Amino acid sequence: MSDAPVLVVGAGPAGLGAALALAQAGVPVVLTEQRDAIGGAIHRQPASPQVPKVLRPARHARSFAMLAAGLAAAGGRIDLRTSTVFLGLDGADNALIDDRRRQRVEALSPAGIILATGAVEKVHPFPGWELPGVMTAGGAQVLLKETGRAPDGPVLVAGSGPLLLAVAAQLAAAGNPPVAVLERGRPWRRPTALAAMLASPANVAEGVGYAARLLRHGVPYVTGAAVTAVRTQGDDLDVMVRHGAAERTYRVRHLLVHDGLRAGASTGITETRDGPVPVLLAGDGREILGADAAVADGRRAAAEMLALLGRGAASAGDEQTLGAARRFQAALARLCEAPPPSPPPETLVCRCEGLRVADLDHLRPDASMRELRLVGRFGMGPCQGRFCGASVAALRPDADPSLKASAVPRWPVRPVSLASLAGFGDPAARTNPRIHQDTEDR
Amino acid sequence: MHSRSSPHVVVVGAGIVGAAAAFFLEAAGARVTLVEAEAPAAGATGASDGAVSVASKRPGPMMALALEARAFYRELAARGVLEGLFHPRSTFLLARGDEEASLLERHGADLAAAGERVVARSAVDLRRLLPGLGASVTAGIEVPDDGHAIGYEITARFLARSRPALRRATPVRALKLRGDRVAGVVTAQGEIAADRVIVAAGIGSAVLIGLGDVLVPRKGQMAVTDRAQPSGPAIGGHLMAATYLAAKRGISLDKPHIGLVIDPLVTGQFLIGGSREENRSDRRTDAATIAAILREALDFYPPLAGRRVIRTFAGIRTACRDGLPIVGPHPAVDGLVVATGFEGDGICLGPLMGACAARLALGEAPATDVSVLSPRRFAVREVAQ
Amino acid sequence: MTGTFFWQGRRVPFGEGQTLAAALLAAGLRDLGGPDGRPARIFCGIGACQACAVTVEGLGVVEACLTPAVDGMRLGPAMTGDDHV
Repeated sequence: MSDAPVLVVGAGPAGLGAALALAQAGVPVVLTEQRDAIGGAIHRQPASPQVPKVLRPARHARSFAMLAAGLAAAGGRIDLRTSTVFLGLDGADNALIDDRRRQRVEALSPAGIILATGAVEKVHPFPGWELPGVMTAGGAQVLLKETGRAPDGPVLVAGSGPLLLAVAAQLAAAGNPPVAVLERGRPWRRPTALAAMLASPANVAEGVGYAARLLRHGVPYVTGAAVTAVRTQGDDLDVMVRHGAAERTYRVRHLLVHDGLRAGASTGITETRDGPVPVLLAGDGREILGADAAVADGRRAAAEMLALLGRGAASAGDEQTLGAARRFQAALARLCEAPPPSPPPETLVCRCEGLRVADLDHLRPDASMRELRLVGRFGMGPCQGRFCGASVAALRPDADPSLKASAVPRWPVRPVSLASLAGFGDPAARTNPRIHQDTEDR
Repeated sequence: MHSRSSPHVVVVGAGIVGAAAAFFLEAAGARVTLVEAEAPAAGATGASDGAVSVASKRPGPMMALALEARAFYRELAARGVLEGLFHPRSTFLLARGDEEASLLERHGADLAAAGERVVARSAVDLRRLLPGLGASVTAGIEVPDDGHAIGYEITARFLARSRPALRRATPVRALKLRGDRVAGVVTAQGEIAADRVIVAAGIGSAVLIGLGDVLVPRKGQMAVTDRAQPSGPAIGGHLMAATYLAAKRGISLDKPHIGLVIDPLVTGQFLIGGSREENRSDRRTDAATIAAILREALDFYPPLAGRRVIRTFAGIRTACRDGLPIVGPHPAVDGLVVATGFEGDGICLGPLMGACAARLALGEAPATDVSVLSPRRFAVREVAQ
Repeated sequence: MTGTFFWQGRRVPFGEGQTLAAALLAAGLRDLGGPDGRPARIFCGIGACQACAVTVEGLGVVEACLTPAVDGMRLGPAMTGDDHV
């Protein structure tokens, strides 16, 4: 039995849940986090004690406090490395990490890997979604948690899903209620889905709280309304919205968009149980179950990892929590189900490569996903398809996914400084900045 | 269009050579089915730099063929077939130190003797032409008439302009023979009858054509950076280390396993390669090899330190034991034409070799004499059937 | 640490513990694109979309949403290199 550590990637609720469970079982853990502090997107902490706290359920604060206390108590059994980005497994089975602080790429030889890198937001493209001033609702939310400050000027929140409500309420509580929340779906027409959600009273109470906050601030919650295009208008944005047969334009400073969450897109790495280094996913990066269930899913992944490594038995203790979360998320998905408007030809699909719907239309109608990437270049830029991958799949539903990508696991899963990577394994590599510095003062 | 009497040709492999062959076969009136194990350009074609380069070729038949192949690119671009896909650019062969400089001097003389324009460049010249060039570069030669083409783009263009029947995800298991003559191919999804067959399946050709171990895989790892600028090549030419040339010329200098090329892409990105790993056919990349390549790249061109690597990948070159490609009618099977073994030169040679293979498959003499590449130079082993 | 960094020469104040992204947004600097008009802006906030990549002198290209601000840092659009920071 080796005492090699298990690498846990991501110090959000799932990663912390996994790391604590592994440490409790006596297994050493290396826990990496891309940010300079733990918490993940859900528990993003204020940048300083002076920053006002963001509106959120008390149970989230309690859950995070327990995780943070657990981490402190675990002491040396959990080697926490912040500002460190996981780059993937290379052909020599090295787990590569990019230590941004020291500007070094290092290899770990872990006994196993648990990826708890969270979900990526879905954003259905429309003309102008790439403009400055358009952000994801989740992105705006983490910045709000960090700074305590809402974006300035009129804000419109649009798309689909419960996060729209949460973000809108948090903006209102921070002093800048949005001009409206536009929900593409029509949740009031889904009574069975609404009824199914009552089985999770904590979540329902949270939602009701957000709704009450919006009501108090007079923020309209418009259902069946979808953004069709955005244009810049000086420092502002003109947001074109279709609501039934009606069209209307909102002039705002910021548009926050969100069409739900996607699992599996954060690293693109899939689970492997039989390779030399088993890889498991945990939390919303595996399946969208929400923050409460993410801790339980981290524990579940830890238990499975222990079983795979022959260091313990898999426990089923968290299955009930996960099952309830799964039923709640399924009801939520049904509640807001609504197809997005199909984007016109000029719509940017792949921002990194500057590719539009029209470019997709020019590719062979029988092209496989592999060719849409390789020849069409969709998803070949720095974001590696995290956002456009789903859009391309939706626009080309018949593309053969079996030829999705190379069968070979790819790294880096995130862009990495060429200088840092060049220093890998080089005894002569310096650890200080290697970028050319102009001595002239500007 | 096709008459009933037009022959049906199966082309195995939808890389650049197979796609070119399909295009020229259709142009000559044949019916074509292109059978591909994965997807078009999924093999070495889609995992290579885009050098349409005479500068890098060994003197002798390869240099002569590359001259013709590059001229053929220019011709196809002018004819519209490859319009917009061939970009003229210089190749810079770069030396670090006297030993490498004398190798380049010799190579420059060989190129000039073959009729290629060559300009000797001092370190001062090079720094003017290539701002940012590393201090360790002491001399070089510029080959101004080379060009750049992206393998997957060329492949896609040939397929768009010919529209052969394309069978993706259809690995060919064996050839179907009738006596001494090829009658089709056997795939996992059944047999496909054919009057003629062209095998252009890279390393996958080896098992089909029965030439035993004359073909060896030679893996090459590469890295791609983010954009240094929004579009257009970020430096004024393709940079190639003298050590790359040395590896190609079979001369052993101190780092034979890495032949550095820095390929400035039209997207503003850089493609940086590559390793030469004998008998490796897996397509995984490892940090140690990539880092060694990048250290070489930084030594030649330090401004790369400000870039990010967004992707690494490996291509499998199909190398032939005697260093020459295999193009020609199969010595033991009638109606079977082989076109493989291009090692790292498939993008440069691909369109011309595809055209030659098409003519040979139709029983005609190709416009370029490729007899030196004939598979008849090897003894035939068992043909898979 | 509280301090000031420079976006293409313009002073941008930041508060203790802030990321580059938070400080840029607070200063009203939403468009992180270069002179070429290629869209770049803070979008996902979690390092995934790469749309907020900026060039920081001494660090190279980094995600503004992941990178803590440091006093005196000089930054500019991702594609233009150190000459424009």
